[in-house]
Amino acid sequence: MFSFILKRLLTAIPTLLILIIVSFILMHSAPGGPFTSERALPPQVEANINAKYGLDKPLHEQIFVYVKSIVLHFDFGPSFRYKDRSVNDLISDGFPVTLTYGSISALVAVLFGVTMGVIAALNHNTWKDYTALGFTFTAQVLPNFVMAPLLVLLFTLQLGWLPGGGWEGGKAQYIIMPVIALSTSYMATIARITRSSMLEVLNSNFIRTAKAKGLPYQRIVFKHALKPALLPVLSYMGPAMVGLITGSVIIDMYFSTGGIGVLFVNGALNRDYSTIMGITILVGTLTVLLNLVVDVLYAWIDPKIRY
Amino acid sequence: MIVDQKKMENLADNLMAAEEVQGRSLWADAARRFSHNKAAIGGLVTLTLVVLFTLIGPSFAQWSNEEIDWAVLGQVKTMGAPSIESGHYFGTDELGRDLYSRVIQGTSISLMVGVIGSFVAVVVGTLYGAIAGYVGGRVDNFMMRLVDIFMSIPYMFVLILLLVIFGRSLNMLFIGIGLISWFDMSRIVRGQTLSIKNKEFIEAAVAAGVSNFTIIMRHIVPNLVGIVIVYASLLVPGFILAESFISFLGLGVQEPNTSWGALISEGARTMQYGTLWQIGFPLFFFTITLFSMFFIGDGLRDALDPKDR
Repeated sequence: MFSFILKRLLTAIPTLLILIIVSFILMHSAPGGPFTSERALPPQVEANINAKYGLDKPLHEQIFVYVKSIVLHFDFGPSFRYKDRSVNDLISDGFPVTLTYGSISALVAVLFGVTMGVIAALNHNTWKDYTALGFTFTAQVLPNFVMAPLLVLLFTLQLGWLPGGGWEGGKAQYIIMPVIALSTSYMATIARITRSSMLEVLNSNFIRTAKAKGLPYQRIVFKHALKPALLPVLSYMGPAMVGLITGSVIIDMYFSTGGIGVLFVNGALNRDYSTIMGITILVGTLTVLLNLVVDVLYAWIDPKIRY
Repeated sequence: MIVDQKKMENLADNLMAAEEVQGRSLWADAARRFSHNKAAIGGLVTLTLVVLFTLIGPSFAQWSNEEIDWAVLGQVKTMGAPSIESGHYFGTDELGRDLYSRVIQGTSISLMVGVIGSFVAVVVGTLYGAIAGYVGGRVDNFMMRLVDIFMSIPYMFVLILLLVIFGRSLNMLFIGIGLISWFDMSRIVRGQTLSIKNKEFIEAAVAAGVSNFTIIMRHIVPNLVGIVIVYASLLVPGFILAESFISFLGLGVQEPNTSWGALISEGARTMQYGTLWQIGFPLFFFTITLFSMFFIGDGLRDALDPKDR
């Protein structure tokens, strides 16, 4: 097990390095430096500023310094837009917010998705199954950026039950709509995967044996069928996590929750390269780590995998 | 030895007759299965109608997509509602531009993103996967590890990074979507190639001294067509969703061009003023097109993918 984790870690490192280097080169090749403004600076001043931020050094040295400061100090450097703030300050303001509603959304998606899938599979070809199928099908065309306006239309503008945006330190009524908007499509996919794999497992020989032994129904479902049925869900969790993190950009923009998504989009609109890069690398690290956790969990649970 | 002339002729006739019995090819089988799938046919009809709408629709438009109707500006809520008399069949947007023309334009751009994305996925993904699978060994290991690395990068963020750095243009959007589109396809194609590679006809080709390149192009790729079509059709909605996502944030298609994501975003911003048609029409086209694409993709998979039968 240990060597498996080590091996996966070793492939994660080059992934992150490639991400950092590629985005650094991209940023470097962008037209106009970070300190180009409408008013041209005197050449000497510009040279001084460039020297202060290390921009006069050759590209490979700059990359080395950047990577070193990230690896050793987890320091993404100063923001190009907000001169008095570092990228770390900006991220540490927004990240907890994103993490809060992101993890709640992941939890909601898994809990409701799995429950719905299991209920649908246990009631195969009844109205419960068809309702779940209808929901999973509809949710395919309801990505977060469609759900968000529809929810606001219903709960804020028509019914007036929930505030249309804001965070206020994470009060419940501010979290509800972001979580629904973010989790719906993943909930649907998880439900669909659970349903089909549960149906497959319920038709397999070992379940028949368990039934023949006269085990109680609940025991069969929860002890014997659920665990193997959840393996495909687990392998979907990697992409789902990436989707949730990406979707948080929409949530932050639409509900003004103040997470890192809004930083990212504003950075993109204002060409604040260091902030965009910092967030891309942070998200990349998170993605790689989550994939690692999923892989390890998978190897741990699935008896067929020998490492 | 005297040959019974009559008997020989009969035999020849019989042979001719036997040849006239048409065998059903795999493709005819698949087409039959597809045409029996009501949801898939419904999806195909709907999608065709949407495409026709983008082609024929402009000739009925009374306003272009950039033109501002000054008579409407400032009182969009009352004057800009959908009506036949004013020529704004779908109403106007917040700036008094004709929503009918804008929806047509947005629809065609969104559809184009899907087509281009799947085209790149098919060409690059098929070749990449077929080469990796056929050559095998260290090359395969390296090529697939590279795809693994690419796939574990949050592509939406990298795509936005690309758009920011090289300018937010339609071409850049197409290039960006093309760059990320082929990873899944190459994995699927590689898996399929691995199983084709060990078949006898490949062995025969190798024995006959056919070069590797010709084997891939003449013997492997044609046998991948079915699975490639299925997965290309399943990938299209994903590209459209990705583009809409970026345009919703205002980072994709730029004015005066538009796309579903941008239109939905505009509509969402103004719905509190009661101009619900501004979100309704783009959302309607978005929804029915995605629905029909999912139906078509499922239908194609049922018709062509041998695994599910």
